[in-house]
Amino acid sequence: MTLVIDNVIKKYPIRQSKSVVNALNGISLNISKGQTLGIVGESGCGKSTLARLIVGLESPTKGAITWRDNVLLRGSKNQWRNHLSPAQLVFQDPYSSLNPRQRIGECIKEVIVAHNLRQKEEIDSRVTELLKVVGMSEDMKNRYPHQLSGGQRQRVSIARALAAEPELLILDEPVSALDVSVRADVMNLLVDLRKEFGLTYLFISHDLSMVRHISDVIAVMYLGRVVELGTWDKVLDSPQHPYTKALIAAIPDHSQVGQMDLTVSLEGEVPSPTNIPSGCAFHVRCPIAVPSCSHTIPQLIPIKSSQSVACSEVVK
Amino acid sequence: MRSLISLQGLSIKTSSDGRSLTSDVNISLIEGEALGIVGESGSGKTLTALSILGLLPRGVEVASGEISFNGENLLSIDPERLREIRGKEISMVYQDPMTALNPVMTVGNQLLEVLDCHNHDVKDPESHVKQSLIEVGIPDPDRALKSYPHEFSGGMRQRVVIAMSLLLSPKLLIADEPTTALDVTIQRQILSLVSKQRSRRQMSMLWITHDLGVVANLVDRVAVMYAGRIVEVGTTKQIFNSPQHPYTQGLLASLPVASSHRKNRLASIPGVPPKPWLVGQSCSFADRCQFAQKSCRERLPLLDTRGTKSVACFYPIASSI
Repeated sequence: MTLVIDNVIKKYPIRQSKSVVNALNGISLNISKGQTLGIVGESGCGKSTLARLIVGLESPTKGAITWRDNVLLRGSKNQWRNHLSPAQLVFQDPYSSLNPRQRIGECIKEVIVAHNLRQKEEIDSRVTELLKVVGMSEDMKNRYPHQLSGGQRQRVSIARALAAEPELLILDEPVSALDVSVRADVMNLLVDLRKEFGLTYLFISHDLSMVRHISDVIAVMYLGRVVELGTWDKVLDSPQHPYTKALIAAIPDHSQVGQMDLTVSLEGEVPSPTNIPSGCAFHVRCPIAVPSCSHTIPQLIPIKSSQSVACSEVVK
Repeated sequence: MRSLISLQGLSIKTSSDGRSLTSDVNISLIEGEALGIVGESGSGKTLTALSILGLLPRGVEVASGEISFNGENLLSIDPERLREIRGKEISMVYQDPMTALNPVMTVGNQLLEVLDCHNHDVKDPESHVKQSLIEVGIPDPDRALKSYPHEFSGGMRQRVVIAMSLLLSPKLLIADEPTTALDVTIQRQILSLVSKQRSRRQMSMLWITHDLGVVANLVDRVAVMYAGRIVEVGTTKQIFNSPQHPYTQGLLASLPVASSHRKNRLASIPGVPPKPWLVGQSCSFADRCQFAQKSCRERLPLLDTRGTKSVACFYPIASSI
């Protein structure tokens, strides 16, 4: 195992109030080297919090995240830097994640310098090399972010992440902000890079079709918990948890024009993470809920090889 | 059949330097029909919609063309008359419901304001607006009327905006990416709601989106825009099942399909869309098109209409339906 997330809980107290945002409520996940773990879920399910915890932008309230048997703790800065280098984050919006007043070359160089990865005289050629890796030419170095298209900016963000020579890339909605015709290009680049550098990916998205395309294993999250986990084909083609089923049914499908009705797949809205329903958090919206669902929290239990579900009715 | 609204040769330019943003856009809708306008950012889909309501941002203006609605030319009518039409006969739902609503006014008062502005005479305005909230599926409408927009979730806010836009039973509803900011299960709820209201009210609809999947089961016809021009129009089935313009085909091919056979690579369209004002008299897609010939760079392909289908391409892909 490369990355082990063990029963992680993350709570954010709200200032001047007694309430707490329960972002993660006991998450356990593993990613092996070279594997891509896709994480899907709607807003507020905790997927981005998880990304922030792994790269150390936040520390867990409880539980541990282990990287190659080293527990990641928010300790001294230097220790963090050593851990941060193997795990890099690519953000959703390349319009806000790049410094508008910094030239592209500088922005990549900064990472190499910060992690002390090259001798001074090698830095420039390394920047060129990184740009080439993401399919961009050397003359981009002197440009500013506003001179680039969305797709080009996201390539720069990826080059910047690769500059730290990571083993794990955390991709938080990496193509959601891009136009449809350039999404495919960036997805193809990610697939190529994974192969070329043997990278491990944590791919976070609300777009199931993109997650389907790139993931080996998929975890479905709902209100800070994993409700279903398994290989991509099992989870997407034979979903077992009622939430996964509803999520898949809600995706607009362009391959079935006129055949699909627009019936609602799931009534109501996701409850607030400050006030999570008791027992199974999904029971208030669940079509198959029974009275006991409101007081027992279902655990993630394997039902077939390579597929686990946290639902007492499915497991029964 | 007579069209409810038709845009003829509509071109939009910047006022200061005359940069062309959309060119020669022709769209028409008959009563009760729903048309999807699909395009990427900068394709001119939102400007086209805004021009109908006379809401183009400052510095952008209609350079030529005509917009006729029920026999009236919206570009030359009296501003007072346009104010009457706007909100009453044509209404609009925007992408971000938070900015579409007034943050310091209760939802109830905002709804009543719509009736007031249009001098709409109803016996009991309070119960009329309450009914409108019930119709869009807002639980506890009495409480909702007294609440402020920030007290609602994104999905509920969009329902409020939809209630507001339907309040005066418009003939045409223009929706500009109304579900883009929402989660998929909420998006489905909104699509289902709009779809029901449309068929119940026999209302026409113009649905603007970058997401092909959204319109696939929602509208009757689709117009695809690229770099300020319409490149293909057809019934939803024609567009999705047998796209003829290479751009439409490329867009559809770039979407991952939900099947258990996973492709290693997604088909992609090389390059990025050009700025509409830099295209000139050639096909705007020529530089990215795998079928482009010399003539594509020398002349501008115009929309060629055959039956229910129009394509602006010298070398369209043969139709299979």
